[in-house]
Amino acid sequence: MKKIINSPDHVVSEMLEGMVKCHPELVYFKDVEVVARKIKTKKVGLVSGGGSGHEPAHAGYVGRGMLDAAVAGNVFASPSPDRVLKGIEEANQGEGVLLIIKNYSGDIMNFQMAKELAEMDGANVDFVVVKDDVAVQDSTYSTGRRGIAGTVLVHKIAGAKAEQGATLEEVKAAAAKAIANIRSMGMAMSSCTLPGVGKPSFILGENEIEIGMGIHGEPGIEKSEILSAKELADRLVDKILKDFDYTNSEVAVMINGLGATPLMELYILNNEVEKILSSKNISIHKTYVGNFMTSLEMSGCSVTLLKLDDELKSLIDAPCDTPAFKG
Amino acid sequence: MKVEITKEQYLTYIEKVSEKIASEKNYITELDSITGDGDHWVNMNMGFQKLISSKSDLEQLSFNQMFKKIGMLIMSTVGGSSGVLYGSAYIKAASEIGDAEIIDLALLLKVFEAKLNGIMERGNAKPGDKTMIDSLYRGVEKFKEAISANKSDKEVLMAFKEGAQQGMQDTKEMEAAKGRAYYQTNKGVGHLDPGAVTMYYQIEALVDFLLTS
Repeated sequence: MKKIINSPDHVVSEMLEGMVKCHPELVYFKDVEVVARKIKTKKVGLVSGGGSGHEPAHAGYVGRGMLDAAVAGNVFASPSPDRVLKGIEEANQGEGVLLIIKNYSGDIMNFQMAKELAEMDGANVDFVVVKDDVAVQDSTYSTGRRGIAGTVLVHKIAGAKAEQGATLEEVKAAAAKAIANIRSMGMAMSSCTLPGVGKPSFILGENEIEIGMGIHGEPGIEKSEILSAKELADRLVDKILKDFDYTNSEVAVMINGLGATPLMELYILNNEVEKILSSKNISIHKTYVGNFMTSLEMSGCSVTLLKLDDELKSLIDAPCDTPAFKG
Repeated sequence: MKVEITKEQYLTYIEKVSEKIASEKNYITELDSITGDGDHWVNMNMGFQKLISSKSDLEQLSFNQMFKKIGMLIMSTVGGSSGVLYGSAYIKAASEIGDAEIIDLALLLKVFEAKLNGIMERGNAKPGDKTMIDSLYRGVEKFKEAISANKSDKEVLMAFKEGAQQGMQDTKEMEAAKGRAYYQTNKGVGHLDPGAVTMYYQIEALVDFLLTS
C-alpha cells in the first residue's frame, strides 16, 4: 500500500484537520469528526455525512448555499449516532434540521438514531434519503438503490432553498423533488485500497471495467472489456434513460470522477454525453465535471442527470460558496 | 456447575473475545471483501481494542451501567452498521440487567433476547436476511429451549453455542436482503456473512470462557 498517511487509524481526523487549515471559514470538531460553518445564519440547518473516502464529500460541501455541517465516519463506514448528533447541534439554529442521507443500511440506522437523540433534546429534525444509482433495482423490502454522486446536487438544491429562508417542510419538499428527478450510473476501471486493510478491495483485469459498480466497490451489473468514451457514454446514459424519461426536458448534468480518473477523460466523457442528450432532445441547463463523490483512488466515473423545473432551475443557479462547489 | 457471571468476569470475557477477533483479521477481511467492502474486521477490532483500553473506567461502573457504556463505546468506535447495532444491543440489554450484580443463565437469556430485539428493531431486519441476526437468533432459540427443558447449565451453554454456530453456517446459503451483500448479483450466496461470523465468535468466546472458568 502506498499512501500519504501516518497511521490508518488517524486518516479521518488528520484529513479534516488539514482541510480546515486550508479553509478557515470552517470549524472542525475532533473526535466527533464534524466540520461545520463558523458563521451561523438563522435558517433551516442541513447536515449530511457518511463514511470517509468519498472526498470532497461531504465536508467539502459545507458553506453558504449548501450544508451547515458534515459528519465523517471511518473510511467507508457510517459515522456513529453521537457524531451525527454533534452535526445536528452545530446546524440547529432553531429553525429545524434536515438530514440528507445516502441510502446505505449503516447510514440510515446511525442517522435515524441521531435524529431520535436530537429530538429527545427538543430539536426539530427531519430527513431525506438519496437513492440515485440505477445500477441497483429499487426495492421496498430490502436496502434498495444506493445513494451516489447525485447526493451532491441534492445538497445544492436543499442548500439553496434553506438559504432563501424556507421552512423545514419546504426545504424537505425541494430535496425530495430533486431526489425524485435524479438518476446516476457509474463504472469502475480499477480498485481502491482501504488504509486499514492495506490491499485492494477487488481486482479487475488489465483491460476490464465494471459497469454499475458502487462507490465502495460494490459489484456492478456487468464486467466488460474497456470501451471507447462514446460506447461508455452510451451504456451509462442508456441505463439512466431506461429508468427515467428525460426526453424533452431540461437537465443538470454531473460527470463525476471516482478519484483516479484524470479530468481529461471526464471532459472527453462529457463531450460524448452531451452529444447523446442533444440527439434525444434533452436540453442541458448546467454541467458539472469533476471529482465530487469519489471512492479513494478508484478510477472510474459516474454520470448523473437531474430533471429541472423552474423551481429546481432557480435553486441550481443560486449562488453557493463551499470548498468543493462554487457557483 | 452453576454459572454466575460477575462484571469482573465479563470484562475478562471481553479480553478473550478481543483476542479472538484480533487473530481473525485475514479471514474476516477476506469474507467481507467478497460480500461487503472489506472493513468489518477493521472496525470491529477497533471497537474491541477500545473496550480493552477503557477497562479501568468500565470496572468502576455497576453491571448495567457497564453494559450501557460498552454500548456507547462500541457505537462511537466501530461506526458503520455494526457499531450502531451492537450499541443498540448493549444499551437494550443494560435495562434487562437492572440492579443485578450477578448474571445467572436465566438472566443471561434475557440479556441476549434483549440484544436480539435491539438489533432487529434498529436494523429493521429479521432472521434469514443473512446478517449477524442469524447467529444470534438461532443461538437464543436453542438457549431458550434448553432452559425450558431444565437442562444443566453446561448443556444450556453448549446448546447456545451450537445454535449460534448453526445460525452462522446457515447464512452461507442465504440471499442477503440488507447491507452491502445485497448488491451482489447472487446476493452473497455461497459465502458466510462476516457479521454473523463475528457475532458467533462473541457467543463462542463467552460460552468457552464460562465453561472453563
